[in-house]
Amino acid sequence: MFLAWNEIKKNKLRFTLIIGVLMLVSYLVFFLSGLATGLASLNREAVDKWDATAIVLNVESDKSLPQSSITTDELNTIKGKETAVLGQLNAIATSGELKQNISLFGINPDEFIMPEVTEGDVFTNENEVIASDTLQDDGFKIGDELALSSTEEKLTIVGFTDSARFNAAPVLYGELSTFQKVKFGEGSEENKDQINGIVIRGDDVESITTSNDDLEVIEAETFIENLPGYTEQSLTLNFMIYFLFAISSVIVAIFLYVLTVQKISMFGVMKAQGISNGYLSRSVVAQTFLLAVIGVVVGFGLTLLTGAFLPSAVPVAFDIPTMIIYGLVLIVVAILGAVFSVLTIVKIDPLKAIGG
Amino acid sequence: MAIIELNKAKKTFGSGHKQVDAMKETDFTAEKGELIAIIGPSGSGKSTFLTIAGGLQSPSSGEIIINDQNLSNMNEKSRSKVRLKEIGFILQASNLVPFLTVDNQMKLLDNVKKDNMTKKELDKLYEDLGISDLRKKYPADLSGGERQRVAIAKALYSKPSIILADEPTASLDSERAYEVMELLKKETKSNDTTTIVVTHDIRLIDYCDKVYKMTDGILKLQEKQESEELKTS
Repeated sequence: MFLAWNEIKKNKLRFTLIIGVLMLVSYLVFFLSGLATGLASLNREAVDKWDATAIVLNVESDKSLPQSSITTDELNTIKGKETAVLGQLNAIATSGELKQNISLFGINPDEFIMPEVTEGDVFTNENEVIASDTLQDDGFKIGDELALSSTEEKLTIVGFTDSARFNAAPVLYGELSTFQKVKFGEGSEENKDQINGIVIRGDDVESITTSNDDLEVIEAETFIENLPGYTEQSLTLNFMIYFLFAISSVIVAIFLYVLTVQKISMFGVMKAQGISNGYLSRSVVAQTFLLAVIGVVVGFGLTLLTGAFLPSAVPVAFDIPTMIIYGLVLIVVAILGAVFSVLTIVKIDPLKAIGG
Repeated sequence: MAIIELNKAKKTFGSGHKQVDAMKETDFTAEKGELIAIIGPSGSGKSTFLTIAGGLQSPSSGEIIINDQNLSNMNEKSRSKVRLKEIGFILQASNLVPFLTVDNQMKLLDNVKKDNMTKKELDKLYEDLGISDLRKKYPADLSGGERQRVAIAKALYSKPSIILADEPTASLDSERAYEVMELLKKETKSNDTTTIVVTHDIRLIDYCDKVYKMTDGILKLQEKQESEELKTS
Protein backbone atom coordinates (compact mmCIF):
# COMPACT_ATOMS: atom_id res chain seq x y z
CA MET A 1 0.00 0.00 0.00
CA PHE A 2 2.91 2.32 0.82
CA LEU A 3 4.41 2.19 -2.68
CA ALA A 4 0.99 2.11 -4.32
CA TRP A 5 -0.34 5.18 -2.60
CA ASN A 6 2.85 7.24 -2.88
CA GLU A 7 3.03 6.55 -6.59
CA ILE A 8 -0.55 7.66 -7.09
CA LYS A 9 0.13 10.81 -5.09
CA LYS A 10 3.20 11.66 -7.16
CA ASN A 11 1.67 10.90 -10.56
CA LYS A 12 -1.76 12.40 -10.07
CA LEU A 13 -2.58 13.05 -13.71
CA ARG A 14 -1.64 9.59 -14.90
CA PHE A 15 -3.69 7.87 -12.25
CA THR A 16 -6.58 10.28 -12.56
CA LEU A 17 -6.84 9.21 -16.19
CA ILE A 18 -6.95 5.54 -15.23
CA ILE A 19 -9.51 6.25 -12.54
CA GLY A 20 -11.45 8.23 -15.14
CA VAL A 21 -11.61 5.26 -17.49
CA LEU A 22 -12.66 2.94 -14.66
CA MET A 23 -15.22 5.48 -13.58
CA LEU A 24 -16.73 5.65 -17.07
CA VAL A 25 -16.88 1.88 -17.36
CA SER A 26 -18.54 1.55 -13.96
CA TYR A 27 -20.89 4.41 -14.83
CA LEU A 28 -21.95 2.55 -17.94
CA VAL A 29 -22.35 -0.72 -16.05
CA PHE A 30 -24.42 0.92 -13.33
CA PHE A 31 -26.53 2.78 -15.82
CA LEU A 32 -27.18 -0.31 -17.90
CA SER A 33 -28.08 -2.21 -14.77
CA GLY A 34 -30.45 0.64 -13.91
CA LEU A 35 -32.01 0.39 -17.36
CA ALA A 36 -32.25 -3.38 -17.09
CA THR A 37 -33.99 -3.09 -13.73
CA GLY A 38 -36.21 -0.29 -15.01
CA LEU A 39 -37.24 -2.13 -18.15
CA ALA A 40 -37.79 -5.31 -16.16
CA SER A 41 -40.07 -3.64 -13.66
CA LEU A 42 -41.92 -2.03 -16.56
CA ASN A 43 -42.92 -5.56 -17.46
CA ARG A 44 -43.26 -7.26 -14.15
CA GLU A 45 -43.98 -4.88 -11.29
CA ALA A 46 -47.71 -5.67 -11.18
CA VAL A 47 -46.97 -9.39 -10.98
CA ASP A 48 -44.28 -8.78 -8.34
CA LYS A 49 -46.78 -6.75 -6.30
CA TRP A 50 -49.11 -9.76 -6.07
CA ASP A 51 -46.37 -11.67 -4.32
CA ALA A 52 -47.83 -14.77 -5.93
CA THR A 53 -46.25 -18.21 -6.09
CA ALA A 54 -47.80 -19.39 -9.33
CA ILE A 55 -50.45 -18.75 -11.91
CA VAL A 56 -52.73 -21.30 -13.51
CA LEU A 57 -53.38 -20.87 -17.23
CA ASN A 58 -54.79 -22.88 -20.07
CA VAL A 59 -52.16 -25.26 -21.51
CA GLU A 60 -52.92 -24.10 -25.05
CA SER A 61 -52.14 -20.48 -24.18
CA ASP A 62 -48.40 -21.24 -24.02
CA LYS A 63 -47.96 -19.30 -20.78
CA SER A 64 -49.52 -16.16 -22.23
CA LEU A 65 -52.15 -14.54 -20.00
CA PRO A 66 -54.15 -12.75 -22.76
CA GLN A 67 -54.36 -15.98 -24.77
CA SER A 68 -55.53 -18.09 -21.85
CA SER A 69 -59.20 -18.66 -21.32
CA ILE A 70 -60.64 -20.62 -18.41
CA THR A 71 -63.71 -20.53 -16.22
CA THR A 72 -64.14 -19.82 -12.55
CA ASP A 73 -65.31 -23.44 -12.10
CA GLU A 74 -61.71 -24.53 -12.50
CA LEU A 75 -61.08 -23.22 -9.01
CA ASN A 76 -62.46 -26.54 -7.77
CA THR A 77 -59.71 -28.49 -9.50
CA ILE A 78 -56.91 -26.41 -7.96
CA LYS A 79 -55.12 -27.03 -4.69
CA GLY A 80 -53.38 -23.98 -3.28
CA LYS A 81 -53.40 -21.85 -0.16
CA GLU A 82 -54.86 -18.63 -1.52
CA THR A 83 -56.38 -18.09 -4.92
CA ALA A 84 -57.44 -15.07 -6.92
CA VAL A 85 -59.29 -15.05 -10.22
CA LEU A 86 -57.95 -12.79 -12.93
CA GLY A 87 -59.39 -11.56 -16.19
CA GLN A 88 -57.12 -9.53 -18.43
CA LEU A 89 -57.29 -7.67 -21.72
CA ASN A 90 -55.30 -4.99 -23.49
CA ALA A 91 -56.89 -1.84 -24.85
CA ILE A 92 -56.31 1.78 -25.68
CA ALA A 93 -57.79 4.11 -23.07
CA THR A 94 -58.72 7.61 -24.19
CA SER A 95 -59.67 10.58 -22.06
CA GLY A 96 -59.98 13.76 -24.06
CA GLU A 97 -56.56 14.38 -25.58
CA LEU A 98 -54.89 11.66 -23.52
CA LYS A 99 -54.37 8.24 -25.02
CA GLN A 100 -52.65 5.32 -23.40
CA ASN A 101 -52.12 1.64 -23.99
CA ILE A 102 -53.50 -0.09 -20.88
CA SER A 103 -53.95 -3.52 -19.42
CA LEU A 104 -57.33 -4.08 -17.74
CA PHE A 105 -57.35 -6.54 -14.83
CA GLY A 106 -60.69 -7.90 -13.68
CA ILE A 107 -60.49 -9.17 -10.09
CA ASN A 108 -62.55 -9.97 -7.03
CA PRO A 109 -61.97 -7.16 -4.51
CA ASP A 110 -61.86 -9.59 -1.56
CA GLU A 111 -59.00 -11.64 -3.02
CA PHE A 112 -55.28 -11.06 -2.44
CA ILE A 113 -54.37 -9.39 -5.72
CA MET A 114 -56.60 -6.44 -4.89
CA PRO A 115 -54.30 -3.41 -4.87
CA GLU A 116 -54.05 -0.86 -2.10
CA VAL A 117 -54.89 2.62 -3.27
CA THR A 118 -52.27 5.31 -2.83
CA GLU A 119 -54.75 8.03 -3.72
CA GLY A 120 -58.54 8.16 -4.10
CA ASP A 121 -60.83 5.24 -3.31
CA VAL A 122 -61.29 1.59 -4.18
CA PHE A 123 -63.86 0.68 -6.85
CA THR A 124 -67.28 -0.14 -5.49
CA ASN A 125 -69.39 -0.19 -8.64
CA GLU A 126 -69.09 -1.64 -12.08
CA ASN A 127 -67.03 0.42 -14.54
CA GLU A 128 -65.01 1.97 -11.75
CA VAL A 129 -61.27 1.27 -11.81
CA ILE A 130 -58.12 1.82 -9.79
CA ALA A 131 -55.39 2.96 -12.18
CA SER A 132 -51.62 2.69 -12.16
CA ASP A 133 -50.06 5.92 -10.89
CA THR A 134 -48.01 6.11 -14.08
CA LEU A 135 -51.25 7.24 -15.74
CA GLN A 136 -51.33 10.05 -13.19
CA ASP A 137 -47.88 11.12 -14.42
CA ASP A 138 -49.31 11.09 -17.95
CA GLY A 139 -52.03 13.52 -16.90
CA PHE A 140 -54.98 11.28 -16.07
CA LYS A 141 -56.93 12.31 -12.97
CA ILE A 142 -59.42 10.81 -10.54
CA GLY A 143 -62.88 11.13 -12.05
CA ASP A 144 -61.64 10.87 -15.64
CA GLU A 145 -63.88 8.84 -17.94
CA LEU A 146 -61.94 6.49 -20.15
CA ALA A 147 -63.23 5.41 -23.53
CA LEU A 148 -61.84 2.03 -24.56
CA SER A 149 -60.84 1.03 -28.07
CA SER A 150 -62.73 -2.27 -28.16
CA THR A 151 -66.05 -1.38 -26.57
CA GLU A 152 -68.70 1.22 -25.93
CA GLU A 153 -68.23 0.84 -22.19
CA LYS A 154 -66.69 3.77 -20.34
CA LEU A 155 -64.54 3.33 -17.24
CA THR A 156 -64.09 5.87 -14.45
CA ILE A 157 -60.86 6.28 -12.49
CA VAL A 158 -61.68 6.32 -8.77
CA GLY A 159 -58.21 5.81 -7.36
CA PHE A 160 -54.54 5.25 -8.08
CA THR A 161 -52.12 2.56 -6.97
CA ASP A 162 -48.35 2.25 -7.29
CA SER A 163 -46.24 -0.45 -8.95
CA ALA A 164 -48.94 -1.44 -11.39
CA ARG A 165 -47.46 -2.02 -14.82
CA PHE A 166 -47.79 -5.26 -16.75
CA ASN A 167 -45.84 -5.95 -19.92
CA ALA A 168 -45.03 -2.25 -20.29
CA ALA A 169 -48.66 -1.13 -20.01
CA PRO A 170 -50.21 0.64 -16.99
CA VAL A 171 -52.82 -1.52 -15.29
CA LEU A 172 -56.46 -0.66 -14.56
CA TYR A 173 -57.90 -2.79 -11.76
CA GLY A 174 -61.68 -3.28 -11.82
CA GLU A 175 -64.42 -5.71 -10.84
CA LEU A 176 -64.44 -9.02 -12.70
CA SER A 177 -67.86 -8.01 -14.08
CA THR A 178 -66.39 -4.74 -15.40
CA PHE A 179 -63.78 -6.75 -17.28
CA GLN A 180 -66.43 -9.11 -18.68
CA LYS A 181 -68.59 -6.20 -19.84
CA VAL A 182 -65.65 -4.71 -21.66
CA LYS A 183 -64.62 -7.99 -23.17
CA PHE A 184 -67.94 -9.57 -24.11
CA GLY A 185 -70.22 -6.54 -24.45
CA GLU A 186 -73.82 -7.72 -24.55
CA GLY A 187 -72.81 -11.34 -24.09
CA SER A 188 -71.31 -10.61 -20.70
CA GLU A 189 -74.12 -12.31 -18.80
CA GLU A 190 -73.54 -15.71 -20.47
CA ASN A 191 -69.78 -15.30 -20.01
CA LYS A 192 -69.71 -14.24 -16.40
CA ASP A 193 -67.59 -17.24 -15.41
CA GLN A 194 -64.97 -16.50 -18.08
CA ILE A 195 -61.54 -15.46 -16.82
CA ASN A 196 -57.95 -15.67 -18.11
CA GLY A 197 -56.17 -17.26 -15.20
CA ILE A 198 -56.03 -17.96 -11.51
CA VAL A 199 -53.27 -16.45 -9.39
CA ILE A 200 -52.16 -18.57 -6.45
CA ARG A 201 -50.19 -17.84 -3.34
CA GLY A 202 -48.76 -20.86 -1.55
CA ASP A 203 -45.74 -22.12 0.34
CA ASP A 204 -43.98 -23.38 -2.77
CA VAL A 205 -44.88 -24.18 -6.34
CA GLU A 206 -44.85 -27.97 -5.73
CA SER A 207 -47.72 -27.66 -3.28
CA ILE A 208 -49.92 -26.16 -5.98
CA THR A 209 -51.62 -28.68 -8.23
CA THR A 210 -54.56 -28.94 -10.58
CA SER A 211 -56.49 -32.08 -11.44
CA ASN A 212 -57.47 -30.70 -14.85
CA ASP A 213 -55.05 -31.74 -17.60
CA ASP A 214 -56.01 -28.76 -19.72
CA LEU A 215 -54.57 -26.43 -17.11
CA GLU A 216 -50.97 -25.68 -16.29
CA VAL A 217 -49.42 -24.43 -13.04
CA ILE A 218 -46.73 -21.87 -13.95
CA GLU A 219 -44.31 -20.52 -11.40
CA ALA A 220 -44.52 -16.72 -11.12
CA GLU A 221 -40.90 -16.22 -12.32
CA THR A 222 -41.46 -18.50 -15.31
CA PHE A 223 -44.63 -16.63 -16.14
CA ILE A 224 -42.72 -13.32 -16.13
CA GLU A 225 -39.92 -14.71 -18.27
CA ASN A 226 -42.50 -15.68 -20.86
CA LEU A 227 -43.94 -12.18 -21.15
CA PRO A 228 -43.42 -11.04 -24.76
CA GLY A 229 -39.95 -9.52 -25.17
CA TYR A 230 -39.06 -9.74 -21.49
CA THR A 231 -36.33 -12.38 -21.67
CA GLU A 232 -34.85 -10.97 -24.89
CA GLN A 233 -34.65 -7.52 -23.34
CA SER A 234 -33.01 -8.56 -20.12
CA LEU A 235 -30.62 -10.92 -21.90
CA THR A 236 -29.48 -8.12 -24.20
CA LEU A 237 -28.79 -5.72 -21.36
CA ASN A 238 -27.16 -8.33 -19.16
CA PHE A 239 -24.99 -9.39 -22.06
CA MET A 240 -23.77 -5.81 -22.42
CA ILE A 241 -23.03 -5.67 -18.71
CA TYR A 242 -21.03 -8.90 -18.77
CA PHE A 243 -19.10 -7.62 -21.77
CA LEU A 244 -18.27 -4.47 -19.87
CA PHE A 245 -16.86 -6.57 -17.05
CA ALA A 246 -14.53 -8.28 -19.50
CA ILE A 247 -13.65 -4.95 -21.15
CA SER A 248 -12.81 -3.25 -17.88
CA SER A 249 -10.58 -6.15 -16.93
CA VAL A 250 -8.72 -5.82 -20.24
CA ILE A 251 -8.45 -2.03 -19.95
CA VAL A 252 -6.98 -2.28 -16.47
CA ALA A 253 -4.65 -5.05 -17.62
CA ILE A 254 -3.35 -2.92 -20.50
CA PHE A 255 -2.96 0.26 -18.47
CA LEU A 256 -1.16 -1.44 -15.62
CA TYR A 257 0.97 -3.48 -17.96
CA VAL A 258 2.19 -0.34 -19.73
CA LEU A 259 2.89 1.31 -16.39
CA THR A 260 4.72 -1.77 -15.18
CA VAL A 261 6.82 -2.10 -18.31
CA GLN A 262 7.90 1.53 -17.85
CA LYS A 263 9.04 0.67 -14.34
CA ILE A 264 10.88 -2.57 -15.12
CA SER A 265 14.32 -1.15 -14.31
CA MET A 266 13.03 0.37 -11.10
CA PHE A 267 11.50 -2.93 -10.04
CA GLY A 268 14.75 -4.65 -11.04
CA VAL A 269 16.76 -2.38 -8.79
CA MET A 270 14.35 -2.95 -5.93
CA LYS A 271 14.58 -6.69 -6.44
CA ALA A 272 18.39 -6.44 -6.48
CA GLN A 273 18.14 -4.74 -3.11
CA GLY A 274 16.31 -7.79 -1.89
CA ILE A 275 12.74 -6.49 -1.94
CA SER A 276 10.65 -9.59 -2.57
CA ASN A 277 8.36 -10.36 -5.50
CA GLY A 278 5.58 -10.75 -2.97
CA TYR A 279 5.94 -7.20 -1.70
CA LEU A 280 6.07 -5.67 -5.17
CA SER A 281 3.15 -7.77 -6.42
CA ARG A 282 1.03 -6.88 -3.43
CA SER A 283 1.83 -3.27 -4.10
CA VAL A 284 0.54 -3.51 -7.70
CA VAL A 285 -2.61 -5.33 -6.58
CA ALA A 286 -3.18 -2.79 -3.81
CA GLN A 287 -2.80 0.00 -6.33
CA THR A 288 -5.32 -1.59 -8.68
CA PHE A 289 -7.68 -2.04 -5.76
CA LEU A 290 -7.39 1.64 -4.85
CA LEU A 291 -7.92 2.78 -8.43
CA ALA A 292 -10.88 0.46 -8.95
CA VAL A 293 -12.56 1.40 -5.68
CA ILE A 294 -12.23 5.12 -6.38
CA GLY A 295 -13.42 4.66 -9.99
CA VAL A 296 -16.41 2.53 -8.98
CA VAL A 297 -17.48 4.80 -6.13
CA VAL A 298 -17.32 7.90 -8.32
CA GLY A 299 -19.18 6.04 -11.10
CA PHE A 300 -21.81 5.00 -8.58
CA GLY A 301 -22.34 8.56 -7.38
CA LEU A 302 -22.48 9.86 -10.93
CA THR A 303 -25.10 7.25 -11.86
CA LEU A 304 -27.37 8.20 -8.99
CA LEU A 305 -26.90 11.86 -9.83
CA THR A 306 -27.80 11.27 -13.47
CA GLY A 307 -30.79 9.18 -12.41
CA ALA A 308 -32.10 12.07 -10.34
CA PHE A 309 -32.10 14.37 -13.36
CA LEU A 310 -33.57 12.01 -15.93
CA PRO A 311 -37.15 12.51 -17.15
CA SER A 312 -39.57 9.89 -15.82
CA ALA A 313 -40.09 8.57 -19.35
CA VAL A 314 -36.65 6.92 -19.15
CA PRO A 315 -37.24 3.57 -17.50
CA VAL A 316 -34.34 3.51 -15.05
CA ALA A 317 -34.67 2.04 -11.61
CA PHE A 318 -31.66 1.57 -9.37
CA ASP A 319 -31.58 -1.62 -7.44
CA ILE A 320 -28.85 -0.84 -4.90
CA PRO A 321 -27.98 -4.46 -3.92
CA THR A 322 -27.51 -5.40 -7.59
CA MET A 323 -25.39 -2.31 -8.17
CA ILE A 324 -23.22 -3.14 -5.16
CA ILE A 325 -22.67 -6.64 -6.51
CA TYR A 326 -21.77 -5.24 -9.95
CA GLY A 327 -19.41 -2.74 -8.31
CA LEU A 328 -17.67 -5.53 -6.42
CA VAL A 329 -17.43 -7.61 -9.60
CA LEU A 330 -15.81 -4.62 -11.36
CA ILE A 331 -13.23 -4.33 -8.59
CA VAL A 332 -12.52 -8.05 -8.77
CA VAL A 333 -12.09 -8.09 -12.56
CA ALA A 334 -9.82 -5.03 -12.33
CA ILE A 335 -7.63 -6.94 -9.91
CA LEU A 336 -7.63 -9.89 -12.30
CA GLY A 337 -6.34 -7.46 -14.90
CA ALA A 338 -3.43 -6.67 -12.60
CA VAL A 339 -2.31 -10.29 -12.64
CA PHE A 340 -0.49 -9.72 -15.95
CA SER A 341 1.63 -7.05 -14.36
CA VAL A 342 2.35 -9.27 -11.39
CA LEU A 343 3.62 -11.95 -13.78
CA THR A 344 5.84 -9.35 -15.46
CA ILE A 345 7.30 -8.28 -12.15
CA VAL A 346 8.02 -11.85 -11.09
CA LYS A 347 9.90 -12.40 -14.35
CA ILE A 348 12.15 -9.34 -14.02
CA ASP A 349 15.76 -10.42 -13.56
CA PRO A 350 17.46 -8.20 -10.96
CA LEU A 351 20.79 -9.08 -12.55
CA LYS A 352 19.84 -7.11 -15.67
CA ALA A 353 18.97 -4.06 -13.60
CA ILE A 354 22.51 -3.97 -12.29
CA GLY A 355 23.84 -4.33 -15.80
CA GLY A 356 25.58 -7.61 -15.09
CA MET B 1 36.82 -11.72 10.55
CA ALA B 2 36.03 -12.23 6.90
CA ILE B 3 32.64 -10.85 6.08
CA ILE B 4 32.66 -11.98 2.47
CA GLU B 5 34.58 -14.87 1.06
CA LEU B 6 34.90 -16.27 -2.46
CA ASN B 7 36.50 -19.72 -2.63
CA LYS B 8 37.58 -20.82 -6.09
CA ALA B 9 34.49 -19.07 -7.42
CA LYS B 10 34.21 -19.21 -11.17
CA LYS B 11 31.62 -18.03 -13.64
CA THR B 12 31.29 -19.39 -17.14
CA PHE B 13 28.71 -18.69 -19.79
CA GLY B 14 27.76 -20.93 -22.69
CA SER B 15 29.10 -24.44 -23.16
CA GLY B 16 31.47 -26.49 -25.31
CA HIS B 17 33.53 -24.47 -27.77
CA LYS B 18 31.60 -21.34 -27.09
CA GLN B 19 32.30 -21.47 -23.38
CA VAL B 20 33.47 -18.15 -22.01
CA ASP B 21 35.02 -17.64 -18.60
CA ALA B 22 33.60 -14.34 -17.43
CA MET B 23 35.39 -14.81 -14.15
CA LYS B 24 38.17 -17.31 -13.72
CA GLU B 25 38.72 -19.17 -10.46
CA THR B 26 38.85 -16.46 -7.84
CA ASP B 27 39.71 -16.38 -4.16
CA PHE B 28 38.78 -13.21 -2.39
CA THR B 29 38.14 -12.15 1.18
CA ALA B 30 37.21 -8.84 2.73
CA GLU B 31 37.23 -7.88 6.39
CA LYS B 32 35.05 -5.56 8.38
CA GLY B 33 35.97 -1.92 8.09
CA GLU B 34 37.77 -2.35 4.77
CA LEU B 35 37.25 -0.14 1.76
CA ILE B 36 38.23 -2.05 -1.34
CA ALA B 37 38.42 -0.96 -4.96
CA ILE B 38 38.09 -3.29 -7.90
CA ILE B 39 39.36 -1.64 -11.04
CA GLY B 40 39.55 -2.82 -14.57
CA PRO B 41 38.37 -1.97 -18.06
CA SER B 42 34.85 -2.74 -19.14
CA GLY B 43 34.35 -6.36 -20.11
CA SER B 44 37.04 -7.50 -17.72
CA GLY B 45 34.60 -9.33 -15.48
CA LYS B 46 34.14 -6.63 -12.84
CA SER B 47 30.40 -6.71 -13.12
CA THR B 48 30.32 -10.48 -12.91
CA PHE B 49 32.38 -10.23 -9.75
CA LEU B 50 30.02 -7.62 -8.35
CA THR B 51 26.89 -9.63 -9.09
CA ILE B 52 28.34 -12.76 -7.52
CA ALA B 53 29.62 -10.89 -4.49
CA GLY B 54 26.24 -9.23 -4.25
CA GLY B 55 24.38 -12.52 -4.33
CA LEU B 56 22.58 -11.66 -7.56
CA GLN B 57 23.80 -14.82 -9.21
CA SER B 58 25.54 -17.98 -8.11
CA PRO B 59 29.03 -18.91 -9.33
CA SER B 60 29.23 -21.81 -11.80
CA SER B 61 31.61 -23.50 -9.41
CA GLY B 62 33.24 -22.62 -6.11
CA GLU B 63 31.68 -20.95 -3.13
CA ILE B 64 30.48 -17.54 -2.04
CA ILE B 65 30.03 -17.00 1.68
CA ILE B 66 28.53 -13.81 3.04
CA ASN B 67 28.53 -13.35 6.80
CA ASP B 68 28.73 -17.12 7.34
CA GLN B 69 25.94 -17.91 4.88
CA ASN B 70 26.89 -20.00 1.88
CA LEU B 71 25.03 -18.59 -1.11
CA SER B 72 26.43 -20.99 -3.71
CA ASN B 73 23.44 -23.29 -3.83
CA MET B 74 20.70 -20.92 -2.75
CA ASN B 75 17.74 -20.15 -4.97
CA GLU B 76 16.84 -16.59 -5.94
CA LYS B 77 14.33 -16.25 -3.13
CA SER B 78 16.82 -17.12 -0.41
CA ARG B 79 19.52 -15.02 -2.01
CA SER B 80 17.06 -12.14 -2.14
CA LYS B 81 16.67 -12.40 1.64
CA VAL B 82 20.43 -12.39 2.16
CA ARG B 83 20.74 -9.34 -0.09
CA LEU B 84 18.08 -7.50 1.86
CA LYS B 85 19.74 -8.21 5.18
CA GLU B 86 23.43 -8.06 4.38
CA ILE B 87 24.04 -5.90 1.33
CA GLY B 88 23.63 -2.26 0.51
CA PHE B 89 23.85 -1.43 -3.17
CA ILE B 90 24.94 1.88 -4.60
CA LEU B 91 24.39 1.71 -8.30
CA GLN B 92 25.64 3.61 -11.26
CA ALA B 93 22.16 4.44 -12.37
CA SER B 94 20.25 5.92 -9.49
CA ASN B 95 18.68 3.24 -7.37
CA LEU B 96 16.13 5.61 -5.97
CA VAL B 97 12.41 5.11 -6.51
CA PRO B 98 11.29 8.13 -8.56
CA PHE B 99 7.97 8.64 -6.80
CA LEU B 100 9.25 8.54 -3.23
CA THR B 101 10.64 11.45 -1.27
CA VAL B 102 14.05 11.01 0.33
CA ASP B 103 12.42 10.19 3.65
CA ASN B 104 10.08 7.70 2.04
CA GLN B 105 12.99 5.95 0.31
CA MET B 106 14.10 4.96 3.80
CA LYS B 107 10.56 4.21 4.92
CA LEU B 108 10.26 1.72 2.07
CA LEU B 109 13.08 -0.24 3.66
CA ASP B 110 11.25 -0.14 7.00
CA ASN B 111 8.35 -1.79 5.19
CA VAL B 112 10.40 -4.74 4.06
CA LYS B 113 13.07 -5.14 6.71
CA LYS B 114 13.49 -4.80 10.47
CA ASP B 115 16.43 -3.41 12.43
CA ASN B 116 17.21 -0.46 10.23
CA MET B 117 18.74 2.72 11.58
CA THR B 118 16.90 4.51 14.35
CA LYS B 119 15.53 7.98 13.78
CA LYS B 120 18.50 9.43 15.60
CA GLU B 121 21.04 7.48 13.57
CA LEU B 122 19.30 8.51 10.36
CA ASP B 123 19.37 12.18 11.36
CA LYS B 124 23.08 11.89 11.94
CA LEU B 125 23.57 10.09 8.64
CA TYR B 126 21.66 12.83 6.79
CA GLU B 127 23.81 15.38 8.50
CA ASP B 128 27.04 13.56 7.64
CA LEU B 129 25.97 13.36 4.04
CA GLY B 130 24.75 16.94 3.98
CA ILE B 131 21.27 16.05 2.82
CA SER B 132 19.22 17.04 5.88
CA ASP B 133 17.41 19.69 3.88
CA LEU B 134 16.39 17.29 1.12
CA ARG B 135 14.13 15.01 3.16
CA LYS B 136 10.92 16.04 1.46
CA LYS B 137 12.32 16.19 -2.05
CA TYR B 138 11.81 13.75 -4.90
CA PRO B 139 14.83 12.31 -6.76
CA ALA B 140 13.95 14.35 -9.86
CA ASP B 141 14.45 17.56 -7.87
CA LEU B 142 17.97 16.60 -6.80
CA SER B 143 21.29 17.16 -8.53
CA GLY B 144 23.39 14.16 -9.55
CA GLY B 145 25.63 14.55 -6.50
CA GLU B 146 22.70 14.89 -4.14
CA ARG B 147 21.07 11.83 -5.63
CA GLN B 148 24.23 9.82 -5.18
CA ARG B 149 24.47 10.91 -1.56
CA VAL B 150 20.85 9.89 -0.99
CA ALA B 151 21.68 6.55 -2.61
CA ILE B 152 24.53 6.16 -0.14
CA ALA B 153 22.18 7.02 2.72
CA LYS B 154 19.75 4.41 1.43
CA ALA B 155 22.47 1.77 1.19
CA LEU B 156 23.65 2.52 4.73
CA TYR B 157 20.19 2.85 6.25
CA SER B 158 19.54 -0.87 6.37
CA LYS B 159 22.81 -1.36 8.31
CA PRO B 160 24.25 -3.84 5.83
CA SER B 161 27.44 -5.76 6.51
CA ILE B 162 28.65 -5.09 2.97
CA ILE B 163 28.22 -2.11 0.69
CA LEU B 164 28.65 -2.75 -3.00
CA ALA B 165 29.12 0.34 -5.11
CA ASP B 166 29.09 0.09 -8.89
CA GLU B 167 30.75 3.14 -10.42
CA PRO B 168 29.39 5.38 -7.65
CA THR B 169 31.10 8.42 -9.09
CA ALA B 170 30.37 7.90 -12.76
CA SER B 171 28.01 10.82 -13.16
CA LEU B 172 29.92 13.22 -10.96
CA ASP B 173 32.62 15.79 -11.56
CA SER B 174 35.99 15.25 -9.86
CA GLU B 175 35.28 17.35 -6.83
CA ARG B 176 31.97 15.60 -6.17
CA ALA B 177 33.54 12.23 -6.86
CA TYR B 178 36.19 12.82 -4.19
CA GLU B 179 33.53 14.01 -1.80
CA VAL B 180 31.49 10.83 -2.32
CA MET B 181 34.55 8.65 -1.82
CA GLU B 182 35.44 10.57 1.32
CA LEU B 183 31.95 9.91 2.65
CA LEU B 184 32.08 6.24 1.77
CA LYS B 185 35.39 5.94 3.57
CA LYS B 186 34.10 7.73 6.63
CA GLU B 187 30.94 5.61 6.83
CA THR B 188 32.89 2.40 6.28
CA LYS B 189 35.17 3.20 9.18
CA SER B 190 32.53 4.53 11.55
CA ASN B 191 30.00 1.75 10.96
CA ASP B 192 32.59 -1.00 10.62
CA THR B 193 31.09 -2.19 7.34
CA THR B 194 32.86 -3.53 4.33
CA THR B 195 32.69 -1.45 1.18
CA ILE B 196 33.63 -2.71 -2.24
CA VAL B 197 33.77 -0.12 -4.99
CA VAL B 198 33.84 -1.30 -8.58
CA THR B 199 35.14 1.40 -10.85
CA HIS B 200 37.32 2.18 -13.79
CA ASP B 201 38.15 5.54 -12.28
CA ILE B 202 41.67 5.06 -10.89
CA ARG B 203 41.66 8.48 -9.24
CA LEU B 204 39.57 6.95 -6.48
CA ILE B 205 42.06 4.35 -5.34
CA ASP B 206 43.75 6.73 -2.91
CA TYR B 207 40.79 6.35 -0.62
CA CYS B 208 40.88 2.58 -0.58
CA ASP B 209 42.61 0.16 1.77
CA LYS B 210 43.12 -2.43 -0.94
CA VAL B 211 43.00 -2.29 -4.69
CA TYR B 212 42.31 -5.24 -6.92
CA LYS B 213 42.66 -5.23 -10.63
CA MET B 214 40.48 -7.33 -12.88
CA THR B 215 41.85 -8.32 -16.27
CA ASP B 216 40.24 -10.90 -18.52
CA GLY B 217 38.42 -12.55 -15.64
CA ILE B 218 41.45 -12.71 -13.34
CA LEU B 219 41.35 -10.77 -10.09
CA LYS B 220 44.71 -9.68 -8.74
CA LEU B 221 45.61 -7.72 -5.60
CA GLN B 222 47.71 -4.65 -6.41
CA GLU B 223 50.62 -3.72 -4.22
CA LYS B 224 50.67 -0.09 -3.12
CA GLN B 225 53.37 0.98 -5.53
CA GLU B 226 51.68 -0.82 -8.41
CA SER B 227 48.60 1.22 -7.72
CA GLU B 228 50.65 4.38 -7.84
CA GLU B 229 52.02 3.32 -11.18
CA LEU B 230 48.53 2.68 -12.43
CA LYS B 231 47.61 6.19 -11.52
CA THR B 232 50.47 7.81 -13.33
CA SER B 233 50.32 5.65 -16.41
